[in-house]
Amino acid sequence: MGGNQTPLAYDYTVARLFLYATILFGIIGMTIGVFIAFQMAFPELNYLFGEYGTFSRLRPIHTNGVAFGFTVSGIFATWYYVGQRVLKVSMAESPFLMVVGKLHFAVYILTILLAVVTLFAGITTSKEYAELEWPLDLLVVVFWVLWGVSIFGLIGIRRERTLYISIWYYIATFLAVAMLFLFNNMAVPTALVSGHGDWYHSVSWYAGTNDALVQWWYGHNAVAFVFTTPIVAMIYYFLPKESGQAVYSYKLSLLSFWGLMFVYLWAGGHHLIYSTVPDWMQTMGSVFSIVLILPSWGSAINMLLTMKGEWNQLQSNPLIKFMVLGSTFYMLSTLEGPIQAIKSVNALAHFTDWIPGHVHDGTLGWVGFMIIASMYHMTPRLFKRELYSKSLMETQFWLQTIGIVLYFSSMWIAGITQGMMWRATDEFGNLSYSFIDTVVVLHPYYTVRAIGGLLYLTGIFIWAYNIYKTITDGRKLEDKELNVNRSPMSAN
Amino acid sequence: MFHWLEERPFFFAVGVFTVVSFAGLIEILPNFAEASRPTVGTKPYSTLELAGRHVYIADSCNACHSQLIRPFKSETDRYGMYSLSGEYAYDRPFLWGSKRAGPDLHRVGAYRTTDWHENHMWEPVSVVPGSIMPAYKHMFSNQADIETAYAEAVTVNKVFNVPYNTNITMRDGSTANVKLPATYDEAKADVLAEAKIIASGMKNQDVKDAVERGEIPQIVALIAYLNSLK
Amino acid sequence: MELGQIQAYAYFFFTAFLVVSLYAYIFHLYRAEKKGTRNYEKYGNLALNDEVSTNPIETVGGAREPLKK
Ligand code: HEC
Repeated sequence: MGGNQTPLAYDYTVARLFLYATILFGIIGMTIGVFIAFQMAFPELNYLFGEYGTFSRLRPIHTNGVAFGFTVSGIFATWYYVGQRVLKVSMAESPFLMVVGKLHFAVYILTILLAVVTLFAGITTSKEYAELEWPLDLLVVVFWVLWGVSIFGLIGIRRERTLYISIWYYIATFLAVAMLFLFNNMAVPTALVSGHGDWYHSVSWYAGTNDALVQWWYGHNAVAFVFTTPIVAMIYYFLPKESGQAVYSYKLSLLSFWGLMFVYLWAGGHHLIYSTVPDWMQTMGSVFSIVLILPSWGSAINMLLTMKGEWNQLQSNPLIKFMVLGSTFYMLSTLEGPIQAIKSVNALAHFTDWIPGHVHDGTLGWVGFMIIASMYHMTPRLFKRELYSKSLMETQFWLQTIGIVLYFSSMWIAGITQGMMWRATDEFGNLSYSFIDTVVVLHPYYTVRAIGGLLYLTGIFIWAYNIYKTITDGRKLEDKELNVNRSPMSAN
Repeated sequence: MFHWLEERPFFFAVGVFTVVSFAGLIEILPNFAEASRPTVGTKPYSTLELAGRHVYIADSCNACHSQLIRPFKSETDRYGMYSLSGEYAYDRPFLWGSKRAGPDLHRVGAYRTTDWHENHMWEPVSVVPGSIMPAYKHMFSNQADIETAYAEAVTVNKVFNVPYNTNITMRDGSTANVKLPATYDEAKADVLAEAKIIASGMKNQDVKDAVERGEIPQIVALIAYLNSLK
Repeated sequence: MELGQIQAYAYFFFTAFLVVSLYAYIFHLYRAEKKGTRNYEKYGNLALNDEVSTNPIETVGGAREPLKK
């Protein structure tokens, strides 16, 4: 680097691309989610789009859309932002990393678009969150490796010697997802072996109980390493930055990291309680799920204490609202999960609506809120414009919060009702209810849940609109107005 | 020592990886051989049943249905004998599901019939008022992909030694032998013969005609699969 | 039973090792701070002073020149 050119600045080209993707896939994934929620309450909605519009075709598109579209784009967007900043190195300094970043984005977008098309066509392996067939799996491997190159490449040319805790979490995400994904998707393409049939069809390496074990080892830890660790990476950066308060205890954040790394992977067995996997594994899954409360709450409490002495910001800054409520939801769902993993509770809760209820306080409350807040925080810096409207953010916050509360409260009631009715017997020991009785009774709860989802989705549209208006109409900012912690936002 | 690790991204990554992979190594690997042994009376899927299984998967029936009966009286009363590990020996992938919007289907073949399924898949509410299950009318006209099912049977036979063309002792002491012909044309003929038996239990004239013409509508394959779940 | 035993031993020893490591790590974090060799809490500021123009807390040795204001 010579002496007298323009001063070095962070280069957010790739971060901007992933920000657009986050918003796009958020809208697609959640719109489908709300639609299928309404289908559960009003089954006539299954017939709007022929065979492509049934609940069962759409559900994998919803889950893949929000997990691998919305969330993973959010993770990448924040990586290409936070990574540079805490390592104090600009992507502009490395043309190589710039190319890798853009290629990463291109392959990623291609993969997700193909995923949507193939899932609509009913091409799926059926394994939850691993539905994509092998050709797409290979593309996933490609963009994942590119992301790895980008992470370690940027670390390789860093100025700051110490890796900030967020970087630890990004590294863990990268490694663990790579391992889980590879093992769970091992399959044999049938056309290669037999010379017949669809070229993209494959059959799993594992059968029956083994397949279930590998799948839930993956499935649970996809939750760990897509919905937890990268989101923790986000909050460890964005909450301190936005509030101007360094993380409450850096030591605690390091300890929780190792705790989480060790404990999380054991907990997958709790998806298989009372199934045909060996008892000791079920017990292990149960016990470790309880232990998991410790590192999870370690991180969550650390985040809340970061706000110590600055709680007034909760009132004045909507971004702080999102993040603080996000960590509260994190605490809720990391307590609720272990409770559901207790064997006797699991006997009641498993296979009921309480489980999607639990998933959604984590995903809507924690993952969703953190990504929303992170994108809001990044937008002024990425586009050098003031956030368009604070009051819209407030409206969004309250709509979405009410939405989440409607969602999980209705699903708690639905799940427990359903579980109790399945096992209820009359005085002679005969089952009291036929299955359909337990379906019909859920109609009101399904309706409330769908409305909750609709409120949340409305918030997502407000978010997209607010960011769009920021980019096009927001007041232009000078560099020095950007060298602040609190995100610049317009009061109206 | 710890700080040394924290400053070296490569070794740090190795450390993280070791800790993260530990659970998988201990929990999953060692049980593999044991869990994959079939129970007595478990036989591989026929090509038609596999094609039906593919239909089940393509329409993600597993999004609403489990195939795992847990060992509680309330479940065995409702669905039959609780599930055993070895019964899934030929299930690639497993289809336990994670949510029961509808009932468990692991033994549905034991108490539902071909014509019941026919009516139910065409219009669930006509059979069970109040049902929220979607109707799957497209399965009555779309064709099942028999060739891909054949490809899968050949693959699992070659790669995983799934016992086709082998005598298997059933629970009642009889023997069964699931055929897997060496050529696709022979396999097609077998599949058609099996499909005709299913179609003879159905009333939908279009489906019957299609099978007469040598076609296999998806619904026929799906019902063959559902009937095999016992 | 062979494999089962190996599994049990591996599990026991590796878990014990990790638990010891975790406690050693806690000890290390606090001792380093007390002895003044390394104050981990200052790394919390990495999120706050993150403009490219601010100086790193510790620079990477050798290759890269620290940025001047
Ligand atoms: C939206 C969720 C949903 C989807 C998707 C779904 N079902 Fe159902 N299914 C139900 C419900 C609810 C019932 C119980 C009411 C009834 O019998 O219609 C049911 C009942 C059944 C039954 C009767 C079981 C019994 O013991 O009475 C069968 C068989 C069945 N479904 C098969 C399928 C197949 C095959 C598919 C995929 C093509 C499928 N279902 C997709 C919800 C669903």
